[in-house]
Amino acid sequence: MRPDLMRFAGRHRWIWAALGVVILWTVLSGLTQSISLHALTGVATSAAFLLIAALGQMVVVTTGRGNIDLSIPSVITLSAFATVTVSGGQDANVPLAVAAVTAVALLTGGLNAILVVLLRIPAIIATLATGYMLATVTLLVNRQVKSSGTAETLAWLATNRVGGVPVVALLALAATVVAAWVLARLAYGWQLSATGQNWGAARLAGVPVGRTTALAFLASAMLAGITGMLLSAYAGGAFLEMGTPYLLQTVGAVVLGGTLIAGGSAVPAGTLFGALLLVLIVATMQIAGLPLGAQDIVQGVVIILVLALAGPRNAR
Amino acid sequence: MNEMNATPLAARADAPSRPALLRLEGISKSYGPTRANREVTFSIAPGEVVGLVGANGAGKSTLMRVLTGGAVPDAGRLVVDGTEVAWDRYGPRAAQRLGLRIVHQELSLCPNLTAAENMYLERPRTRAPAFWLGPYRRMVREGLAAVFPDARIDADQRVGRLDLAEQQMLEIARAAGDPALRLLILDEPTSSLSSEAARALHAHVAARAAQGLAVIFISHKLPEVLAVSDRVVVMRNGAVVADAPREEMTLPDLMAAVGGRAALAEVAPPAPSGAEGPILVRLGGALTSALGHEVELRAGEVVGLAGLEGGGQKTLLRRIREADGRGASEVERRGRASFVSGDRKAEGVLPLWSVLRNIVLGRVAAAPPLRAVRPEAEAAAARQWAERLSLAPERLDDGILDLSGGNQQKALIARGLVDASPIVLLDDPTRGVDIGAKRDFYRVLRQVASEGRLAVWHSTEDAEFLECDRVLVLSHGRIVADLRGAAITEEAIIAQSFATPDGTSPARRQAAAPSERVFGAIPFLGLALLVGLMAWINPLVLSGFGMQLLLGPAVTLVLVALAQMFIVGGSEVDLSVGNFVSMVNVLSATVLVTAPFFGGLALAAGLGGYAFLAVLIRTRGIPAIVATLGASFIWLGVGRTIQPSPGGSAPDWLGAAFDWQIPGLPAPLALILAAGAVALLIDRSPLGVVLRGFGAAPDALARLGWSPLRYSVCRYVIAGAFAMAAGLYLTAMNGASDVRVGGSYTLLSVAGIVVGGCALLGGRINPPGVVAGAVTLALIGAALAMLGVGTDFNALVQGSLLIAILGLRTALGGRRSDAA
Repeated sequence: MRPDLMRFAGRHRWIWAALGVVILWTVLSGLTQSISLHALTGVATSAAFLLIAALGQMVVVTTGRGNIDLSIPSVITLSAFATVTVSGGQDANVPLAVAAVTAVALLTGGLNAILVVLLRIPAIIATLATGYMLATVTLLVNRQVKSSGTAETLAWLATNRVGGVPVVALLALAATVVAAWVLARLAYGWQLSATGQNWGAARLAGVPVGRTTALAFLASAMLAGITGMLLSAYAGGAFLEMGTPYLLQTVGAVVLGGTLIAGGSAVPAGTLFGALLLVLIVATMQIAGLPLGAQDIVQGVVIILVLALAGPRNAR
Repeated sequence: MNEMNATPLAARADAPSRPALLRLEGISKSYGPTRANREVTFSIAPGEVVGLVGANGAGKSTLMRVLTGGAVPDAGRLVVDGTEVAWDRYGPRAAQRLGLRIVHQELSLCPNLTAAENMYLERPRTRAPAFWLGPYRRMVREGLAAVFPDARIDADQRVGRLDLAEQQMLEIARAAGDPALRLLILDEPTSSLSSEAARALHAHVAARAAQGLAVIFISHKLPEVLAVSDRVVVMRNGAVVADAPREEMTLPDLMAAVGGRAALAEVAPPAPSGAEGPILVRLGGALTSALGHEVELRAGEVVGLAGLEGGGQKTLLRRIREADGRGASEVERRGRASFVSGDRKAEGVLPLWSVLRNIVLGRVAAAPPLRAVRPEAEAAAARQWAERLSLAPERLDDGILDLSGGNQQKALIARGLVDASPIVLLDDPTRGVDIGAKRDFYRVLRQVASEGRLAVWHSTEDAEFLECDRVLVLSHGRIVADLRGAAITEEAIIAQSFATPDGTSPARRQAAAPSERVFGAIPFLGLALLVGLMAWINPLVLSGFGMQLLLGPAVTLVLVALAQMFIVGGSEVDLSVGNFVSMVNVLSATVLVTAPFFGGLALAAGLGGYAFLAVLIRTRGIPAIVATLGASFIWLGVGRTIQPSPGGSAPDWLGAAFDWQIPGLPAPLALILAAGAVALLIDRSPLGVVLRGFGAAPDALARLGWSPLRYSVCRYVIAGAFAMAAGLYLTAMNGASDVRVGGSYTLLSVAGIVVGGCALLGGRINPPGVVAGAVTLALIGAALAMLGVGTDFNALVQGSLLIAILGLRTALGGRRSDAA
């Protein structure tokens, strides 16, 4: 019986994060009366923004060889600025804003891909550098921002509810389902997993490992762009450092969700629960009145702890 | 198998009177189903030179591994000086203490260290604080002079920049110079040596043997073996098949003994292939110059690639894989090719997947990314091939690592066949595979060929070539024979393998990267250029006050970059260094002022945190990237908790500590020089050498007995100390703290070391370069301001500089030397 259970948990690694969500939720609602449907919506909304970006991080991490996307926060921030600046709060300009965000994402993701795949610069350095350079662009854009306000379409997507469920949560859920489908049912998913498990073997088996890695960086940048766009609508504007929390949190959601940090195995459902768990942890700390600094500490500790417990198997 | 006893040791008149130095008795060793050694008995006396020969895979390497503590046999005894050795207490270090040493074919020197530093890693006994490398330089010089009097190798030259022959000489000299040496094992020592160097080695072996040193000489060059040995031992299929004094051996005898009869004689020879199929692969140019005509491989053929290890078979196989369409190149391929490697771990299995998925990948690997995969439909085809290879259907859903090596290999072969590509390339596919799996493989290969595919098959087991229609024998990278049908015999293959085609030189020179020197000079040139430019715009830059003003902010970056440098020296990156600086800044401007004792304690705890990080990374296998990313938020959190908004003040003594004056030398410049000097001293100290060694060749160092954990902790604590100095300096200069001050230093520190000419991988670091690089980066902001460009562009310029240099290095092939 027990070995069977362990086997099940080994196959479905999202189970741990899901368990964490259930336990934390139960404890929270037991401890305080203030946990309400309203709080649940808040958690779902925060988790949704995180989830969309984290799915991109998951894909990059799955390419293996220590790959990671550290440019996500900068893409989020710049996309938020681009959305606000270009749309100017007018619905008519939304397609233009979408085009601008797409351009930001494709340029950043493309640059990351070129640096990592063609110039063979370690992803950690390449994405750190692109993110750093984007920050300059954001600073310049920040100076130019004259208009503010949020286009109605975007506001509806970011803040409204359908049948009590935040629209953005539905979007994030849909993104997760699409990601799961691509990973399981399209050739790309197989190629991605093979590349991350054993780069040399995948290459010799005929997998276009360079293209596979490049697409992962593009996807990550695109998802970060979408996050930034929706986030600007949710926050009703854009500000510097808007994306900063997403650096650690995307990695955290991915790691908590059971995706192997060494690559080769992505767990979209796990990333969903990982994002929820992380947001719940933050919410708990806020309810407990912990200062911002303590929240940073706890998040850092949780990530290191999870990896330490998962042990060398995880690092392979 | 005790043919040893049957043959008297009469080679040297005095040999029988001498007691054996050591005896291996009844050694058996299996790797999975492969019996690498079968009851081997072997002994050697002091002063005796034994030549050990045998075909690839005959069991020589395994026997030598057992002898030198690299492998524990399944059965048998090792007796040294009449005392039996306990296997559980035997290992490479113990063997070395007994004076038993081996020089491997693949070299074990750290390429990023100098010759003298490599000598230290091996014999870290003598300790002389000042000029400590002196004795090791002398050891290198004297060791080389003893063996290769003509060798001119600078003891301070980095090993990676020596050519193969020089590295080989150094490796031999390092082992031969061991004062405790009693048995020296040389594995293919002359494969990359010039004939003069080889002669010098032969002479040295003879001279040392006369003084009582025992030598085992392993070589594929049979005439050489006959020239240097007193006695020759021949191994085949894991057993000793001949053991005789040199006088009783002739070259033809030796060749016959090495080749022997077909080990797999029971398998019926293949039927001659049928009608000539279309040409699928064409080989020409220099590759076939020894043959005099082009080689065409056709559909329906099973073509073997034979030759000595390193003869060019693997390279040819990979060239066929990478060749495209047609063209004037030496290798032309027409049609898709699949590839099956026998190196299952590195080039075969996808460890997380089931057997079935591993096979199905063959149909999905090259598909357009958006093609749908229908697992059941794909699985059907996969099952068919699994069945043809007699892979048990009930095992297909198991994880691939749960299978035996033979069954794993069957799955990989099925993967190579499942997408029906007309060409199948096989790289030693039966390595370590049991005989049953081999037979299944031979049968399927034959069927596949008769169905109209071309199989090109490299094997390290010469007997397997009897399964082929055609065998190309390679030597020194060229095809020297094209054997067909009845002409394929082990004897013929071996005879051709030992051939040396005209116009080849044994020593391949490793191209010294000219870019290295250029990159070494970049940080200094760049800095000089930048300072020159700034002085041209405003001459006051060079005044004492100007330097004070400009270099003040640079001190922090220099210290952080030096911290990062030590981490990168271990081929890792510290993402937390910037926030650590912030935390120290906050701690020293708050707690250290109000409660100095607790402040000091907190700072010490910060260093402890770095040490703990190192422990986690090593013992729990957490990637340094994620561990330091997590840590960076912990540092940030601590800083924020103590001081949510900028403020605080500097302790008086701290300001004084950084604010001293040397007449004529601006304080920041003095600090920068001092920091660089400290880093340089650490880097050049014995500790620094070990740290750099770990960055390039951690396994080699662990084998030599250095503790990875201990030195990892050292590395992180040193880095933490430099980062802490940076934080304290910030407090002293600003007289206040801000938790956000350090954020950008993480990237800047990486940029600083890259601009400073360090490699991100491979443990090649350069403290003076890093200092110059960090100062350059710090001055860019001031230079931009002088040019009238907003400081907003700071980050853009710094980031672009980092990427440009890294990209340029890849473009100039610098990466290859990174990998070396």
